[in-house]
Amino acid sequence: MIIEILKLLIIPGIFFLFTLALFYQWLDRRFLARLQNRRGPMHTGSHGTLQPLADFIKLLAKEDIEPEAVDKPVFRGVPILLSTISITALFFIPIWGVKAFVHFEGDLIFMTFLMTLIAILAFLGGWSSTNRFSTIGGLRAAMQTLGYEVPLSLAFIGPAIVAKSLSISKIVEWQASTGIWAIILNPLGFGIAIIALLAELEKVPFDLPEAETELVAGWQTEFSGRKLALLRFAFDLELVLAAGLITSLFLGGPAGPFYNIPWVGVIWFFIKTTIVVLILSNLRGLFARFRIDQMVSGCWKYLVPLAIIQIIFLQLVLG
Amino acid sequence: MASIVSTLPFVLLVSLIITLIFYWIGGKIAPKGTKTPGKLAPYACGEDFPAEKLQMNVQNFFIYAVYFMIFDILAFVLAISFVNPGLMPAFFAIITLLAVILLLPLLKLKQKV
Repeated sequence: MIIEILKLLIIPGIFFLFTLALFYQWLDRRFLARLQNRRGPMHTGSHGTLQPLADFIKLLAKEDIEPEAVDKPVFRGVPILLSTISITALFFIPIWGVKAFVHFEGDLIFMTFLMTLIAILAFLGGWSSTNRFSTIGGLRAAMQTLGYEVPLSLAFIGPAIVAKSLSISKIVEWQASTGIWAIILNPLGFGIAIIALLAELEKVPFDLPEAETELVAGWQTEFSGRKLALLRFAFDLELVLAAGLITSLFLGGPAGPFYNIPWVGVIWFFIKTTIVVLILSNLRGLFARFRIDQMVSGCWKYLVPLAIIQIIFLQLVLG
Repeated sequence: MASIVSTLPFVLLVSLIITLIFYWIGGKIAPKGTKTPGKLAPYACGEDFPAEKLQMNVQNFFIYAVYFMIFDILAFVLAISFVNPGLMPAFFAIITLLAVILLLPLLKLKQKV
C-alpha cells in the first residue's frame, strides 16, 4: 500500500510527470527558437533547463487579480480542474512498462471524454471572465477543439481495431508482443492524430482561440497569478499527454529491444515522445495561423473523410 | 494490481489535492495588493468595454453540436467493430463517408439561399 502510494506520488507518478512536462516545455521552446534563429531560454540552469520551473514559480508568486464582473466559482474552478484533469489523463499512458498505472477496458473512450471536458472547460473559462476578448476566444476554442475531436477519435480507433481492444495499455501490450507498430497499418491515422492534437493543444497553426494580435490572450485574458500558472502548467501536461498518446497508440509506447528490463522501456518511451514533440514544434515553426473558415473546412472537408477512409482500409485489410 | 491506489477515483482525488496545494501556496506567497477600479474592470486596451456578457448566436452552435454527437456515435460504433472486422463495418463507414461528402455541397446551397 505504502509502496503504491509512493509510486503514485513519485516515480511513475506525479513528480515524474511534472518533471517531464517542464522538460518538454523547455525542449519545445528551445527547438522553436532554434528554428526561428533565436536561442531561446539560456540563463536559468544549464542551457535554460530550469526556465519553465522558474516561470511557474514566478507566476505563482504574482498578484492574483480578479475583476469584479467575473463569475467567481467557475473562474476559480477552471484552472484547478484543467490541471487536475490533465494530471489524471496522464496516468492512463503506459510509461514504465506495457501496463499503465491506471487501466481498465475502455479507457481509450474515457480518454476522449477527458479531452472533451478540457474543451468545455476552455469555453467555460472564457465565458465566466465576462470580457469580450475572453468570450470570443472561448467560443473559438469550443468550436475548434470540439470539431477536431471527431477526426481525433476516429484516428484513435484505428489502433484499437488493429489490437482488438479499447484499452490503451492492451493496445501497447499487443504492439509490444507482436512487434508490429500500429503506424504500419495506420499511416493516415498517425498524420490525422498529429494535426488534430495540434488543434486540441491550440498551438500555432491553430491558435485562433488565443490569437494575440486580435484577441489579446483569447479565453485566458483575465487569468493572472496562480490561476495563469496552473493554466500554463495544464498546457505543458497536455503536451506530454498528446505526445504520450501518439507514442502509445501508434509507435508502440515503451516497446523496443529489451523493453522488459526495468529502465529500458522508459528510455524507449522517452526517445519516441521526444521525436513526437519535435514534430509538433516543427509544425508550429512551419505554418502561420489559419483563418477560421480554413480551420473549420479543413476539419470537416479533409480530416474527417480521410479518417473514415483510413478505417475502411483497416476493415478491408483485417477482414 | 487490484489495490485501491491504482483506481481512477483515487488518482483523480490525489491530482485534485496536489493542484489545490499549488493553488494554496500561490495564495500564500503572492502579494495581496490593493483593489483599484482599474484592476476590478475587465481588461480592454484603451477602449471602455462594459462588463456585460456578450449575446452569442447559439443557432449555429446547435448544428455543430448535433454533428459532433452524430460523429461521436459513429466513432463509437466503429470502435466496437474490432470484434468482427470485415465488409459490414467497412460498408457502414462508406455510407457515412458518402453522407459527409454529399452534406458539404448541400450546406453550401443552403447558405446561398
